[in-house]
Amino acid sequence: MLAISFFEWWYSRGWGIYFQGFLAKLRNMADSFSIGLLLKTLFQPFRQISTTAGKKTTVMEKIVDALVSRFVGFVVRVFIIIAGIIMMTLLLIGGVILGILWPVIPLMPLVGVVISSIWGIWW
Amino acid sequence: MKKYSSFSRRSAEARADKILNSVPVRLLLVLLMLALLGFGGYELYLRNSLGFILIGCAFIPICVMIWARYELKYVPTGRGNSINDVLSNECLARLGNAPVPIELAQWVPTKTKSGAFLARRYAISSDLLAAIAERMPTDMQPIFEKALEVREKTNSEVVSGGVLAIAMIECYPEHEQLLKRMKLEITDLYDGLVWFNYLNGLVRGMKQRRHTGGFARDLMFGYTPLLERFAQNISKQYENTRGSNVTVSLHREQVSTMIDIFSKGGRQNAALIGPDGSGRSTLVHEFANEILNADSNISSRVKFRQIFKLDASALISSASERGEIEGLVTAILNEAMHAKNVIIWLDNAQLFFEDATGSVDISNILLPVLEGGALRIILTLDEQRFLEISAQKAALANALNKIMVEPADEVATMKVMQDRVPLLEYQHNVSYTFWALREAYRLSERYVHDLVMPGRAIRLLEAAASFAEGGFVTDASVQNAIEKNYGVKMQSSQNESEKQKLLNLEEILHKRLIGQDLAVQAVSDALRRSAAGVRNEGRPIGTFLFLGPTGVGKTELAKAISETYFGGGGKIIRVDLNEYVSQNDVARLIEDGATNENSLTAQVLKHPFSVVLLDEIEKAHPLVLTTLLQLLDEGILRDARNREVSFRDTIIVATSNAGANLIRDYIDQGMDMSLIKERLTNDLISNGEFKPEFLNRFDEICVFQPLTKDALLAIVDIIVASTNKTLEPRKISVTLEPEAKQLLVEHGYDPKLGARPMRRIVSKTVENIVARSVLSGEADSGAEITITADMIKAAL
Repeated sequence: MLAISFFEWWYSRGWGIYFQGFLAKLRNMADSFSIGLLLKTLFQPFRQISTTAGKKTTVMEKIVDALVSRFVGFVVRVFIIIAGIIMMTLLLIGGVILGILWPVIPLMPLVGVVISSIWGIWW
Repeated sequence: MKKYSSFSRRSAEARADKILNSVPVRLLLVLLMLALLGFGGYELYLRNSLGFILIGCAFIPICVMIWARYELKYVPTGRGNSINDVLSNECLARLGNAPVPIELAQWVPTKTKSGAFLARRYAISSDLLAAIAERMPTDMQPIFEKALEVREKTNSEVVSGGVLAIAMIECYPEHEQLLKRMKLEITDLYDGLVWFNYLNGLVRGMKQRRHTGGFARDLMFGYTPLLERFAQNISKQYENTRGSNVTVSLHREQVSTMIDIFSKGGRQNAALIGPDGSGRSTLVHEFANEILNADSNISSRVKFRQIFKLDASALISSASERGEIEGLVTAILNEAMHAKNVIIWLDNAQLFFEDATGSVDISNILLPVLEGGALRIILTLDEQRFLEISAQKAALANALNKIMVEPADEVATMKVMQDRVPLLEYQHNVSYTFWALREAYRLSERYVHDLVMPGRAIRLLEAAASFAEGGFVTDASVQNAIEKNYGVKMQSSQNESEKQKLLNLEEILHKRLIGQDLAVQAVSDALRRSAAGVRNEGRPIGTFLFLGPTGVGKTELAKAISETYFGGGGKIIRVDLNEYVSQNDVARLIEDGATNENSLTAQVLKHPFSVVLLDEIEKAHPLVLTTLLQLLDEGILRDARNREVSFRDTIIVATSNAGANLIRDYIDQGMDMSLIKERLTNDLISNGEFKPEFLNRFDEICVFQPLTKDALLAIVDIIVASTNKTLEPRKISVTLEPEAKQLLVEHGYDPKLGARPMRRIVSKTVENIVARSVLSGEADSGAEITITADMIKAAL
């Protein structure tokens, strides 16, 4: 009965649980890299930095100062977004491959026997 | 109902879980996997095709571990509602083919989580369940049926060990008496299960990672070096945590209001106004936690904002001059505004609106900021301080968005305590019983005055951890905490000797008081009623009015009551009401302990188990008597700080000489004492001495008779006994011949002054004779001095 339970679970709920876990990992990584937030604030100033803080400035100086800050912010964000996308892509590829291979995992002993036989014939 | 079967699929899986998720088996599976992979790899290295088979086989333990970890550990409930579908894993794994109640008693409180929870908090132990099981039929079906009902009532996901334990108790025919003996009700156990389910949910939630925006969240917000130095970022503690961090919230509505305020335009401030202990600070923490939740739908205007709690003392200590402080505060506020993600929290906001030790008035800086609404600010302060600030700085008060924080009721306070208990247990390495929580609520409500609920109950609960016995915090621990930490002398529980004392109260009181049988009887009856629990808990233990001439034992009876009823631990709080003759004196009566430690309310706060002696009550101003009405009626008096001071553990004794002459006249007329009492009461009302509503507030009005010569003879014995007690260190004793006593009574009797002259006469004669004998060397250690009538005559 337990063997039936195991196979039933592996090919139904188990597979679902795997994908749920995988999606949760993707979400966690997306949260860690704040991808959505970075895209929303792509051109916002970086850390509100300013070279003219506390000084008397003209409108032009202010505009330039804001532009510099926004440019720095844009560059930093783009780098983080790229790093995040790379990491998430790797995770996605790994997760999908494992998900596709999931049904094969319980059959691995048989796969081993088959490969062993082929190996024996070829070599 | 479908019967329980141990052959169901869920049962088999639960048994497999017990084996496969045990540590040795898991270890074995890991070793097997590693061995297969290792040998497989080695075989492949040797170019042996067996390696593929071995590596393939290594996936068998991997699959088993995954299955055990993600499925067997949490075998889902079945589709139906039968007992087989909803029994928990831990129960299914242990129930045999034909279970009987006695088996359950053995493992439910020890081997199941919820069963162990009830055993620890509610004393539902194996022994208790075994005793119940022995007195009930062996058929499990009724228990399973009851368990399904309990599961439904408590919204439990499964029929756990705890559910089975409660079901067993409910199926026990005499469960009501059993629970009464344990000072429990069945609903308390249901609440216990709900409590367990809640905590279990929190633990499960901890396995999930929380989304708080990630490391790039704050890139668009400015640096805050000044704030880091002068304020505490409370949002930090809610970052990188696991689980939902959702705790029992008393103030969901207020948190929503705060989110609303900071999500929309307008004045960006929230003033949380409520008494200390109502949870103002907790509310700010809940808000900080809520706005860090990346998955919530709250506005981006408030999401991920950091709350900085500004430290008034740090500001003052770093800037000595007034101008410096103002400059510093301006710089901090500018920094907060520039950073764009800061909410400033002024805890105990009054510290920032007044110039005093430890506080600094920066209202002139804050007012434009509050009115402008550009910088987000949270203020927390108590109602009284808010009223004071409103009176002095109306513009400031008008600029605030007020949110009232009310004290919690009993149900909410119990829930908050249940929520806080795991943290306290972790910090103090103890376990709290359910009775400790209930006692903490009850005692803190009565004796912890500087906070409101739930703060006062939590503070007491925390203090009780130091008085744990055997690792358990019980109701006795809470009582100890009240005694030791708050200086409240608790009345000791009545043991056998104290019960005997109460039964023989008249005899004991008569050892100190001669005569006055009716008064002693009335007082004794009232105190016995109180001790037996036949009294209104919302009033003082007893309220007595002693009427009679001076020197007849009114005060002496009050002292005797204090000593006898409170077992020597009590105190007599004496208030001479002839000092409260004007209406302004009311304020003195209820003055704050910090100003006047001898005010009535301050003394009762310190010694709630006392006899309060209100001497010469007829001389008090009518307004003073009106103030005392509430005390006599509800056992409560509000002090100058508007705190409720409980007199519910005091015995109130008011004494009065009013009507002393009438008493004498009535006795001379040979009137019966009960009739005298009635007549006297009417006379005192009709001649305006007391108002009827005042006299009606007393449990008993006791009329004291003038002392007779026989009574005075007995009083002489008491006074001489007291002299002997004084002489005991010198091992000298004094005895009086009967004629000598008679002579003393002849000279010491004054119908108007009662027994008072007696003590003076004894002092003048007996004590003088003894003093002379000692100094002349006639009486040395071990001497027995016998005083004759002649000696008394000579001394007089």
